[in-house]
Amino acid sequence: MEKNKVGINQLALMYLLAIAGGKFLNLPSILAKDVGHDSWLTLLFGFVFDAVCLTFLLWAIKLNQKKQLDLSTILDKTVSKVVSKIIMVLFFVIFIIRTNILLASCYKLFAVTFDVSTNWIVYALPIAAIGFLAVQLGFNSIARTSQLLFGIIFLAVLVLILSPVTQVEFTSLLPIGEAGFGKIVGTFFKRSFWFSDYLFIYFVFDSIKVKNNRVFLPILSAFAVGAVMTIAMNAIFVSLYGSLSQDIELALSKIGVYFVSNSSNGRWDWITLSVWLISVFLKIMVFIYCAYKCLEKLFEFKSAKLNVYAVIFITLTLMLPMFVSTDMLLSTVVAWGMIPFCIVQYLLPISMPFLTKLANSKLEKSV
Amino acid sequence: MKENNLQKFLAIYSGDDDVRIREVSCGIELTVVCLDTMCDDKKVSSYVLQPLVYAEGATDISAVKTTLMAGAVVSKTVNLQSAIEDFVNGYTLVWDSKGNCLSVDTRTTIGRAVAEPPTSMVLRGPREGFVEDLKVNITLLRKRLKTTSFKAININVGKYTNTAVSICYIDGIADQTIVEKITQQLQAIDTDAILDSSYLARYLDTNKTILFRRVGITEKPDIAVAKMIEGRVAIVVDGSPMVLTLPYLFVEDMQSPGDYYENSSITVFGRILRFVSVLASVLLPSLYVCLQVYNYQIIPLKFLITIMNASEAIPFSPLAEMLLVLIIFDILREANLRMPSAVGISLSLVGAIVLGDAAVKAGLLGAPAVMIGALSGIGLFTLPDNTLVMSLMRLIVTFLGGVMGLLGVTLATIVTLLYLASLQNNKTPFLAPFAPNIPNDRQDAIGQKPVPDMDKRPESIPNENKTRRG
Repeated sequence: MEKNKVGINQLALMYLLAIAGGKFLNLPSILAKDVGHDSWLTLLFGFVFDAVCLTFLLWAIKLNQKKQLDLSTILDKTVSKVVSKIIMVLFFVIFIIRTNILLASCYKLFAVTFDVSTNWIVYALPIAAIGFLAVQLGFNSIARTSQLLFGIIFLAVLVLILSPVTQVEFTSLLPIGEAGFGKIVGTFFKRSFWFSDYLFIYFVFDSIKVKNNRVFLPILSAFAVGAVMTIAMNAIFVSLYGSLSQDIELALSKIGVYFVSNSSNGRWDWITLSVWLISVFLKIMVFIYCAYKCLEKLFEFKSAKLNVYAVIFITLTLMLPMFVSTDMLLSTVVAWGMIPFCIVQYLLPISMPFLTKLANSKLEKSV
Repeated sequence: MKENNLQKFLAIYSGDDDVRIREVSCGIELTVVCLDTMCDDKKVSSYVLQPLVYAEGATDISAVKTTLMAGAVVSKTVNLQSAIEDFVNGYTLVWDSKGNCLSVDTRTTIGRAVAEPPTSMVLRGPREGFVEDLKVNITLLRKRLKTTSFKAININVGKYTNTAVSICYIDGIADQTIVEKITQQLQAIDTDAILDSSYLARYLDTNKTILFRRVGITEKPDIAVAKMIEGRVAIVVDGSPMVLTLPYLFVEDMQSPGDYYENSSITVFGRILRFVSVLASVLLPSLYVCLQVYNYQIIPLKFLITIMNASEAIPFSPLAEMLLVLIIFDILREANLRMPSAVGISLSLVGAIVLGDAAVKAGLLGAPAVMIGALSGIGLFTLPDNTLVMSLMRLIVTFLGGVMGLLGVTLATIVTLLYLASLQNNKTPFLAPFAPNIPNDRQDAIGQKPVPDMDKRPESIPNENKTRRG
């Protein structure tokens, strides 16, 4: 549908915002807990792995330009309808848990940093409502909004990350690889759930507008910038806080302290932090969109209007943090589902070009 | 059958004292009918009656048309309906005994003279403005577009008003599919009355937008022509000095009629000022409230102490105080618009001195809140066409900022942008050239290239000729 069409440059900007929107709060402290000051190496390894998978996915997008098949059609035609539905369920779980983690991180940010505590329902419902508004308006609206706000968000992140640079002792990152290569790589696999931000691209697979066959350059450039920013932020954070970094959950907000030279100037960093928060909300919207699309494919409902049952179901799942802590969610669901999630996150993108080719050729034969 | 047309016509208008009927003979018997109030007596007399009264030997109505009628516009009507349409628009009808009918343009030219429009004053540039007469308005356009490519499609809309509407475009530049779509949309309107072009604007907005204007409005012919040259369609409505232009972009609100007659660096500065002041107008009151209520740490210490001292004794919460200031400002603006200009000055004084100064002195409102309310209010006027919409938005954002803090302001911003980004009319995204990004069109958006360097027509406006050269 036209309202879900997205340009390749818009997609690149969204991808960059998605990287920046999810890895700046909790992940640095989680990685620091596992591998200390070598956490940036884990990120580096993770991004290299992501880059390989992303390249395959982009190749698949290029192959899909002619027929513009969507993910579920490709899966239906190649790996059977049952497997296709199982993959959709996995995607749904991933998006819902990721949305909950993002929501919980922001909730904590508001409670701890901004000192505004509120009820989870009062907090989560408006955000969910905006997510469904985005689903109704189409993916194109989220893409255009991201495009419009990209400059200001990117500037805010840069200011936040670079403001403490003069006070950072990068020597505290030495010796490199102290935690051991095995542990660094092992931590990546253990925390792989936090990576592969490209997953949302599956759900606009059939709606990407490519000009002059340029698929790789815009997306890979955005990915490279996002990766460098994330690694730099992590390195700066760990250098600034040393062994304390594993106990500081809201990394970006703590880095922001260095933005203001003294307390009488006021906490202007909170304004930049609020601007960065927009990228988190945009990411939440993208995830809600993808979760809704998963249900749409699972139950095969198609209507111009939102499906009430799907809306209610997704909203209820977003209330999970009221009953279960997100740490618990991560440690149980992610631990149990690590291997299936890895299939969706890493095996599927690598096999996507072959699946796309196969689906295309099957379709041609049937025609 | 045709004789019945005259009888039917006379039956329809029986009992209407405004109808003037005159029987003349010029070889054949003719009935001349006109509306006293819609026709110019001199024109009726010299274009229709004089030639007929002094003539002899006419054989049929065709001969009357070619040899006797002195009017510039004389046409044979095809049916009773078109005869009535011409009649109510001030044409004089000449009927023969068989029911054949000629209509002669004898419309009266009552109306105000062309003057500078009060809503689009400029320091430099043309000062002509559209008036209420369709014919004059089309003349103003044609004066600037002396080309055979200028086209106008005339239709009538409104069951009772039968308002004349002219769809103007430049053939070879405007996208024909859009011209056809707009024509169909206007022809499909089924309503009693079209009293102004703004009535049509509502029918042309296919998204039924609740807040933002989706159709461009201008009172200046030079602006209308500039837009037509970019590929837009202009819709001129009889009885309205506001000409509609389609497709319409949000960024057009940031552009002022005088922008094209100034140096481009000054224009860019002006546009940035407008953009910043609108942003500040909508966001400043909400930020003031949420910083004061939730996140006062953001405010520098000295500034915070000043604010605290000023608002210490105020009996209202910061949210209520700010909403009160904004609503008072809106009331004053509404009253000022509707007051005679002489009383308006007194009203401004009452607003400024009595309400502002006295309320602060009485300790009902804090000086910072009044200052921010006033600053925000003045900022809104940099976007005169959208003042009311922005004013409503700032009330909503301020309320959300007061209730939810920075989260509320952030969410309100996202919702607004999401909504605006989703709007698309006549193949044109509302937020172009920024979302989607169209680099070529940024030559005249917030920034502006010097006019000689603008060699391409905007890509966001569909057109059939991409280049302005040759």
